[in-house]
Order: sequence, then C-alpha cells, then structure tokens
Amino acid sequence: MAELSMNKVVKRYGATQVVHGVDLDIKDGEFCVFVGPSGCGKSTLLRMIAGLEETSEGRMTIGPKDVTHFDPAERGVAMVFQTYALYPHMTVRENMSFGLKISGEDKTVIKEKVDKAGQILKLADYMDRKPKALSGGQRQRVAIGRAIVRQPDVFLFDEPLSNLDAELRVEMRVEIARLHKQLGATMIYVTHDQVEAMTMADKIVVLRAGRIEQVGAPVELYENPDNLFVAGFIGSPRMNFFDGEVIELGFHQVMVTVPRLGNVVVPVAVQSELRLGQPVTLGLRPEHFDPKGDVKVTLPIDVHENLGGVSYVYSNSDEADLPIIVELRGQRPPVGSDLEIGLNPEFALLFDPQSEERIR
Amino acid sequence: MSDLTQTLPQVKSGPDWVLIRKRTRSFIAHAFVLTLVAIMLLPLFYMVMMSFKTSTEIAQDPLGLPESLYWGNYMAALSSMGYVRSVLNSIGITISVIVVVVLTGAMAAYPLARMNNRISKTIVMVMALGLATPNFVTITPIYVIFRDLGLLDSYLGIVLAFAALKLPLAVFFYTGFIAAIPMDLEEAAKLDNCNSWQIFWHVIRPLLAPVTATLSLFIMIMVWNDFIYPLLLLTDKSKLTVMIAVYKFVGNTGIDPTKLFPAAVLGSLPLLIMFVAFQRKIMAGATAGAVK
Repeated sequence: MAELSMNKVVKRYGATQVVHGVDLDIKDGEFCVFVGPSGCGKSTLLRMIAGLEETSEGRMTIGPKDVTHFDPAERGVAMVFQTYALYPHMTVRENMSFGLKISGEDKTVIKEKVDKAGQILKLADYMDRKPKALSGGQRQRVAIGRAIVRQPDVFLFDEPLSNLDAELRVEMRVEIARLHKQLGATMIYVTHDQVEAMTMADKIVVLRAGRIEQVGAPVELYENPDNLFVAGFIGSPRMNFFDGEVIELGFHQVMVTVPRLGNVVVPVAVQSELRLGQPVTLGLRPEHFDPKGDVKVTLPIDVHENLGGVSYVYSNSDEADLPIIVELRGQRPPVGSDLEIGLNPEFALLFDPQSEERIR
Repeated sequence: MSDLTQTLPQVKSGPDWVLIRKRTRSFIAHAFVLTLVAIMLLPLFYMVMMSFKTSTEIAQDPLGLPESLYWGNYMAALSSMGYVRSVLNSIGITISVIVVVVLTGAMAAYPLARMNNRISKTIVMVMALGLATPNFVTITPIYVIFRDLGLLDSYLGIVLAFAALKLPLAVFFYTGFIAAIPMDLEEAAKLDNCNSWQIFWHVIRPLLAPVTATLSLFIMIMVWNDFIYPLLLLTDKSKLTVMIAVYKFVGNTGIDPTKLFPAAVLGSLPLLIMFVAFQRKIMAGATAGAVK
C-alpha cells in the first residue's frame, strides 16, 4: 500500500496532446475513481500509472519511489482489465500464480498466496478450470485474484465491470468495495458509469479532454460542483440547466428570471458580485422540483418514466435544449397534461455561461 | 374462435411441391458433391487397383480390376526401394522442417503483427511475394547457394531449403492470427513481470496451437510430397526421401508398373495414416478460436 502522486503529468501521441499537466495526489488506502466521458483521457491516465503508456512530461511517484520511467512490473501496481485479460490456456490457479512464478517466487509461497486469494474471492472450487469454463463474474474475480496475489502498492481497475450484465455489475461492485475494506489497499478505478463512481469512491476525479475538472468526495461533487461540466456529468438523471438573467441584486442573493420556466423569478444565494442584466445559467437537479416548493412552475408532460418508487417527467423535449427532467414521488400525472410543481430555490446553482464556472 | 375458423382457407390435400422442390435440390447438391469426390478419388483408386495387378493383367487390361489381390508386387517393391530407410528420412526431414518453420515463423510474425508500421507492412508484403514465387524460379539459386555452402547431399541442407521455402507461408499464417490476439493479454503479462521473450513463449506461443496444427498439416503434405528439392539436393541413396525412392521405378527407357504403383501406395501410406489419425485435432484446430 502506498500513496500516489502525479505532478504536471503530460501525455502526447506525436503532436497530439491527450493529457494536459495533471496534478493529483491519492492517499494511502484511498479508493479513487476517474470518471469522464469517452475520450477524456481517464484510461490513458490509468495506463500511464501502470507504465503501459510512457509519460511524456511530469513526474509520478508511488510511495517514496519516482516511477515515471519504470517498467510496469517495477512499479508495484496490479491492473484489472475491462476484458479480464486472462490467459486462456492457463487454469485459474495458473493464471493467478503466473506473475509470481515469473518473478521467481517460491512454490509453497505461491500456493499459499493463490489459495488465500481463492478463498477471499470464493474461487476455491474453480482453481483447476480454464477461463472459458467460467462465467463473466467468475472471470472478473480471477482477474482481481491475479492482482491480489501480487500484493501491489496500488490496484488499478480499468472499467472492470462494463462487460458484465446489470445484476452482476451490482454484485461485483459490492464485492470490490468489500475487498477494498478488507485489504485497505490504494485503489484507482476508471469508469464512465457514475453510479459506480458515486457508490464506490472515497474520491472522484472528473476528467474532460485530458484535464481534471474537479476532485472531491462524491457528495461534494454532487452538491457543490465547480463548473457546468461537473454539474451536468455527476448525477443521474442529469442536472437541468436554464438560461436566465439577473433582474435584482440583494444582500448575498440575486433574483434570476428564467424564460424557459415561464419567466419565473428564482432567488439564488450568491457571495459573488453580479450586475443587473447579467446572463447566467441556473442549474437545478430533478429532485429539487417539489410540490411544496416556493416558486411555482407549470410544465407540459411529454414523457413519463415510472421506475416504481420514483418517476421522471420529461418536459419540453421538442425544444432545441435538452428536456427538463422532474423527479416525482407518488404522483402519476398523465402524459399530455400540465404538471403544476414548485421548485426549491435554495438548491439552485448559478454558472457563468461564458466560462462555465460556478458563480458562488 | 368461430370467426377465425370461418375465415381460414381450406387446405387442399395433394403433393407438397415446396417439400418436393426442397428435396430435389438437396439431392442434386449431394449428387454433385459425390461426383466431385469420386473424381478426386479416382487416381487414388487407380493407383491402389494397379498395385494389386500382375504384369499380365496390366498388359491385357490396363483399366480393368484385378482378378485377385496380388501382394507379390508389394514384396518386390519393398525389397528393392529401401522403404523403411526412405520413410524414416521423409519423417525426419518433414518433422525437422515443421519444427524450424513453426518456431522461426511464429517468432518472425510476432513483431511483424505488433509493430504495424510501414516497415513491418513492407516485410509482410515481401514475405507474401515469397508465397507467389514459382518453385522453378528458386531451383537454380538454391542449388548454387547450397553447393557453395557445402550443404548438398546433407539433411541440414534439405531441411534448410524447405524451411526457407515454407517460411513465408508460416509468417503469413501467424501474422494474421497474432494480430487478432488482444493486446490486453500482453499488457497483463508485462504487469506480471514478463519480458518480450517471456510474453512470446508463455502467452503468445500457446495461443498459436490451433493455427500451428493447421500449418503443420500443410507443411507436412507439401514437404512429404515434394519431389524437386530432394532430387536436386540429395544424391546419397541412404538419404533419399520416400518420393524419390518411388521414382526409382521410373527408368530412362520404361516404367515398371508392378513396382511403381505399390511403391506409390507405400509412399503415400504414412501421410494418409498421419492425416487420418490427427484429422479430428487438425480440423478442430483449424476452426477453434484461441481467444475468447
């Protein structure tokens, strides 16, 4: 186990730069999740930590070692791949012991470590099977077992659950979280599934186009995003954004009019100084619409998704903007009718439409 | 329910033309395939049939069936062609060529499949040219080079010559197959502390088993049946392959069919036995995917 530190880390492929001077510290024993849309550089960053991609610039340390130009095996990391990457011609036991065998580890020590990993991952009954005779979840467990036996300083997971079906994904998610607790190891996990990120992480790193947008605890990112991108990316369904304009200035509060919500006026708490007539983007999460809310709006219902406990109403979906999403509990309004609902202005967030930064 | 039964059209009883058409088509297809198989097997049948005929029967009715199975031809051929020795030579040469070609071909193909740049693509192209080069173009240069290297009339010489000639096929085979092996496996091996050689030997090579089985079969058939190169490079009677031993019965002035045909059967027999014995494995290898 060790902490990991990245200092102005850059990755270039020829003239194309894909990772732009990333600074990041991950504490010993922390579960850190990299999230971001496809092509944001999260897997590249993980592969750079693993040593599978050269670091073009900057420094990277794992524990006391500067590993920037170390070979993968010298870094003290183990990686679980999206495709499992199990050796198809080897049994589960051989897959798990291969790395130790190549490193010249003693046979009895290998057996001990592999048996222990098999016990932890409930693989004891499958040790002599080949990967093709295992289910997706079992294969993923073998891949994790292969990482465990090496007792690495840092575990790396590259979208490990994306090949599994929904049910198994939930099961494995819990299992990985349990494993993290049990081993207390530093883990870095790449995913584009923000449910995984929100449920598993101690710390989430949101990436966009090779840059870190925000780092923080899941709840912190959800409640207190730094910019439009993070606000829109974290949370499912996504946050609603409305163009608005400041029409009144008060003490630590502004009044914002929102044309898309029938020119309703929303009071928003801010510390920054704004000016009258300043265009802003108002962000409101679907659950912050509330029948008891102070500010009332009327929304035509285009689509109604009923998930049992909660349901989501999509409104104005034919407009150029994304539809407005409203979370409802207990209500089942018919499609085509108008929904009379309030909103809770204390949860509304303001963003600068130009810089996309949060106005606090 | 009653509405439904009323609106249903009445089914007429009589010949089912769709089924008849389907069966006729199937019958024609099967007959066509069987005819092709018969045409292919005809020379083999003729060879076996001729090997059991006496010289009188051959003179009287060359295309007729033998009255009885006359084993005397086989005894005569066996005693005069040095059968065991020549079969052992053929087996030794074939296995050696397979081992050399499989090993060097896989090792050459691995970087070519993984580099994927202009140089590697050019090398693969040049290798493919080796496949397209007619045999007769290479005869003279190979003879001259091997003569100058002192490799004429040696096992090493004939194995090297065959290996060089069959290497392009192996590289071509393996390059495509290795390119389809996911890079993740190699990366996992790198994290497992493997160097390039260990990745090849412990991870890539075992995955090549199915394609190796198929490639070995091709090489085995080509080397076993090759006539030109053993004739060109080997003169010592004790080193001749079985196909050259068979050719002994084709003289300058005439052919002795009573020995030539049994010799030809005996020459093909080990290959046929090997093929039948390993057929299931080879076919399984040719169709199975190594990486799931």
